[in-house]
Amino acid sequence: MALTLGETAEKVPVPPVAGGRRRRPPGAVVSDHLRSRWQLWLMLAPAIALTVVFAYVPMYGLQLAFREFDFAQGLTGGDWVGLAYFRQFFASPLFWDLLRNTVAISLTTLVVGFVAPIALALVVNQVVGRRRKRFLQTATYLPHFISIVVVVGMLQVFLNPATGVLPRSLGLLGVEGGNLLGSTSAFVPVYVISEVWQHCGWNSIIYLAALASVDPQLYEAARVDGASRAQTVRHIDLPALVPTMIVLLILNMGGVLNAGFEKVFLLQNPLNLPVSEVISTYAYKIGILSSQFSYATAIGLFNTLINFVFLVVTNQVAKRVSNTSLW
Amino acid sequence: MTTTSPPRPPRRLRPAATTTRRPRVRHPRTPGELAFSVLLGLVCALVLFATLYPIWFVLIASVSSPAAVNTGQVWVLPAELSLFGYEQILSDGRIWTGYRNTILYTVVGTALNLVVTLPAAYALSRREFAPRRPLMFFFAFTMFFSGGLIPQYLLYKDLGLLDNWLVFVIPSALNVYNLIIARAFFEHSLPEELFEAATLDGVSYLQFFLRIALPLSKAIVSVIGLYYLVQHWNDFFTGLIFVRDYDKQPLQIVLRDILLSNQAFAGGAGGAGGTGGAYGQQYADQIKYGVIIVSTLPVLLVYPFIQKYFEKGVMIGSVKG
Amino acid sequence: MARTPRTPSAAPGGEARPRRSRRALRTGAAALVAPALLVAGCTGGGDDEGGEAGGSSTLDVLVVKHPLTKGMDEMAWVKTLEEEAGVTLNWEEVSADWDQKKSTMLAAGDVPDLVIGTNVITDSDLATYGSLFVDLSEHMDALPNVQAMFEEVDGAEQTATQTDGSVYALPRWKQAWPQAITRQYINQQWLDALGLEMPTTFDELYDVLLAFKTEDANGNGDPDDEIPLDWAPVATTGWGYFQPSALLGGTGLPISGGGGTGYFVEDGTVGNWLADERWKEVLLFLERANAAGLVSTNVMTQDYSAYQSVGRGSGDDATVGMSWGWTSSDRFGAQLAPQYASMAPVLSEPGVEPTWSWDFENLTPNHILLSAQSDAIDAGLRVIDAFYDEDLSVQTLFGDEGEYVTKTGEGAYEVLPPADGTSDPSTWKWTNSLADASPGWIREETQLVLPTDLAEAVEQSAPLEPALANVDPDEDVWPPYIKMSAADLSTLSLNNTTLLNLTQNAFAQFVTNGGVEAGWDDYVASLEAAGLQQNIDLYQQYYDASEG
Repeated sequence: MALTLGETAEKVPVPPVAGGRRRRPPGAVVSDHLRSRWQLWLMLAPAIALTVVFAYVPMYGLQLAFREFDFAQGLTGGDWVGLAYFRQFFASPLFWDLLRNTVAISLTTLVVGFVAPIALALVVNQVVGRRRKRFLQTATYLPHFISIVVVVGMLQVFLNPATGVLPRSLGLLGVEGGNLLGSTSAFVPVYVISEVWQHCGWNSIIYLAALASVDPQLYEAARVDGASRAQTVRHIDLPALVPTMIVLLILNMGGVLNAGFEKVFLLQNPLNLPVSEVISTYAYKIGILSSQFSYATAIGLFNTLINFVFLVVTNQVAKRVSNTSLW
Repeated sequence: MTTTSPPRPPRRLRPAATTTRRPRVRHPRTPGELAFSVLLGLVCALVLFATLYPIWFVLIASVSSPAAVNTGQVWVLPAELSLFGYEQILSDGRIWTGYRNTILYTVVGTALNLVVTLPAAYALSRREFAPRRPLMFFFAFTMFFSGGLIPQYLLYKDLGLLDNWLVFVIPSALNVYNLIIARAFFEHSLPEELFEAATLDGVSYLQFFLRIALPLSKAIVSVIGLYYLVQHWNDFFTGLIFVRDYDKQPLQIVLRDILLSNQAFAGGAGGAGGTGGAYGQQYADQIKYGVIIVSTLPVLLVYPFIQKYFEKGVMIGSVKG
Repeated sequence: MARTPRTPSAAPGGEARPRRSRRALRTGAAALVAPALLVAGCTGGGDDEGGEAGGSSTLDVLVVKHPLTKGMDEMAWVKTLEEEAGVTLNWEEVSADWDQKKSTMLAAGDVPDLVIGTNVITDSDLATYGSLFVDLSEHMDALPNVQAMFEEVDGAEQTATQTDGSVYALPRWKQAWPQAITRQYINQQWLDALGLEMPTTFDELYDVLLAFKTEDANGNGDPDDEIPLDWAPVATTGWGYFQPSALLGGTGLPISGGGGTGYFVEDGTVGNWLADERWKEVLLFLERANAAGLVSTNVMTQDYSAYQSVGRGSGDDATVGMSWGWTSSDRFGAQLAPQYASMAPVLSEPGVEPTWSWDFENLTPNHILLSAQSDAIDAGLRVIDAFYDEDLSVQTLFGDEGEYVTKTGEGAYEVLPPADGTSDPSTWKWTNSLADASPGWIREETQLVLPTDLAEAVEQSAPLEPALANVDPDEDVWPPYIKMSAADLSTLSLNNTTLLNLTQNAFAQFVTNGGVEAGWDDYVASLEAAGLQQNIDLYQQYYDASEG
């Protein structure tokens, strides 16, 4: 983190710090910058103010991870315990299981959930005829609005080993599916597929918007050159999506330890517990249900740190490789 | 994606905006093309089925007897038709208050979001703006680290935001994720030549943003707008934690109460008096599907208006020549 | 939410916290967004005139009620209560996600004047946040009804009293509820059709279930649609009612509250039945039954909706042979209920003295609390006491007098059947009043004509009576009023989270895939390694202290 800051500071003449360059006094650099860029600062002002107030000001609460939560002493008045709660988490017999389960779920979701919307956008984009295209687009975006409680309820109905649509259809094909809801090997696929089903269409919208900005003359030129449709997809559509893809990939990598709490929790049952207990469900059971604020904060902070490291690393790699990065 | 063509003054680009239809690209009917079309058709059919069937299921389940749904008798057509769920939902006065509130929060909130996000995203997309990288870091950092709910609660209390409808609008006025996406879009899809040409004409940043960048970015404006709109529409957490007055609660809180009544029976069957209440259980089961329909319909109606900006060629093609 | 300013005297612990620097920071932040919020100020804080000064006080009351319950201002008894206490009540109604809302509210030290609900603030919350609430033991003079309840009802005062002797939250007591929540049912019609006797042991039960499975017990022509045994979904966080933990009754092991996190007391000794040989016997039986296809294939993965729906069969054809529930009509639907008979515990082997889960539905803890920050403490006390009035207690539980309850004489009431014919009495009471969420005291001497479901539950409890008589409440039941320190609660819950992760999965694996005999010792060893003994010792320590 600090390293990144230093690095950027080197390249960018941040006004107050990087003064004294050449012979120009620092004040002049700042006032020059402000004179030419004040409108940009103006455009940024509301966003900066909101971020300071609503994101940075409450950040003092992070101390809780290193302190005993003592209500009588106030939020940050408890005894300093350092890394005790982190050690408690690492020493938990469940720690490695939790980590492994969390990564399995989120990484699979990340990979599949990243590729699917791109593929869908390319497909939708190829559909000829405005009405058909709009219909397809609307249909795929619909499931995004179904709440998790209901999605899980539907999975219960569809996957019911005795009466569900899927086991019965598989049965007709002669495949013995077993109880998909209780199987430890089926848990991740069920989770990921339903996740992709629900959000693929919604997530493809951004790619469709990117495709909308492709110059139609490029297609015209490709046609004149005798390119096939597959070739136009490969050489025109796909490259147009690359910047968006990279940004989203970086952002997604920052969620490497995020397995959607509510859905995992609702899909949990005694049979799949060995693979369905993840960091967030554990934190919920320990933190919310039994008011262990410090412990829950420490677990949350651990989660965040790992995520953030992944984001920073991906960002640096992307910067080298593609010249696209968040900062 | 750089181009070498000479920049043109933006004014000449305007008329082109009306010729936005994508020219039908007709490829010769070679066997390869035919295979491509067939494959495409198959994929589309599969995707359509996979998304539409569950939606159809929600629809028929919302008008079928819950016992039939839970025992797997509802597949293709509704069984034991009943509109009981809808009657209950629509006769619940709280739903209408919820609707009113949600529409207010969504409209005001989304407008504020766009006013905050788009200019900031544009400013951050300017390559000559030296502090933009540290600023991006400053924003991105908050996507990960937050002080947690309690400091947030105390802050809102001090600001008088508790039990105040503005809590739905102001703290969420900037979503960093959307800011990053919008910035990337401005950076990669707006040709630099436009800006250079405009600067020669003496156009300032603000003028360029308002008169040229925005009109050329309808696609991203509608995507970001849609993201925000849906974020507000689906927000129940704010209401849950920061609002106690039921008259100010958004639709999602009302619906969640109804949805979770199912769990309330499961968890509280014994604990809450040992009375599951068979009728209540069925009521809750049927309602949960109807709730989806009732809460999603309005968002679906908005979509077609936004959708047209995703059509090919919204961005003026001739720009990049 | 701008509350009227609090007097320093009425603000212990919570408000005196040193937050100087943070406050300054936040004030700075406030200045930054102040312009935007000027507008808000006008719309935001208009709803808190009142206070003690103007004669009649307005109290903010947060109530956690069932999602089906109608709005508080639609209940007529609320007006009566307001008149009796001379206050105006401003309701804040919560029906979902209370845990989450509560933890933020408490940690931020921001509670409304009154908080109402079933175990709405738990003992574990009170161990940390007790100082947010008024110690009612200092105000007993102002609470004659509560005082009377403490004197007359066994355990009521103990339930309310924390380790340091203070009383922050009051329990409710109601007569007429059966001792056990779970009842055991078998399809008598199937037994008769197949010429079978009511099973009394695990072996007999196995044979009966097998006959249900192999023959066309419901006589609809399809021999394969019968599910001999089904139970309610077992949570990953613990055990509850209507689950196979009920079978422990037949081994003589005394559980309470459906099983909870596994701890139980037997002859004054604390143990955990999830590591007990008698649970192994139950598991062996379930393993055998499941291997023979006698258990619902979906039993480990179904949700509560599916569990309820399957029990209702289709039309006149029942689907489930044996199961557990509150009443037969609640479990199997009005149409099929007559087919089912409630049954005594099934013995693991002949000669065992059976027991049954000892539940505490009559006396439930922590129903009402008064905020220490309230500026109308006296009015709050009046409201609390009014809730424990006889008339109001009946109405808060069953509904308004006249519409849902008829007063037939002094201290005599008749609960009316649902006016909506499609509803059942238990749902009816939840839709029309606070029901079991409300504080109150239904006195022993109150004459009540019970609603049909309650009468049914009492009647169907008869076969359990001998088993319950074997349970000695003083020696074989964990006293629910035992309070523990925050530190010990933390240790217990840390260990229990790990333990339950192991036990719940082991239960499902043993039943579904077998291997009880081979895997039992390793299973118990894994529990020992996860801190089982530490927890048992802690519980034992508290138990001994409370008995000593």
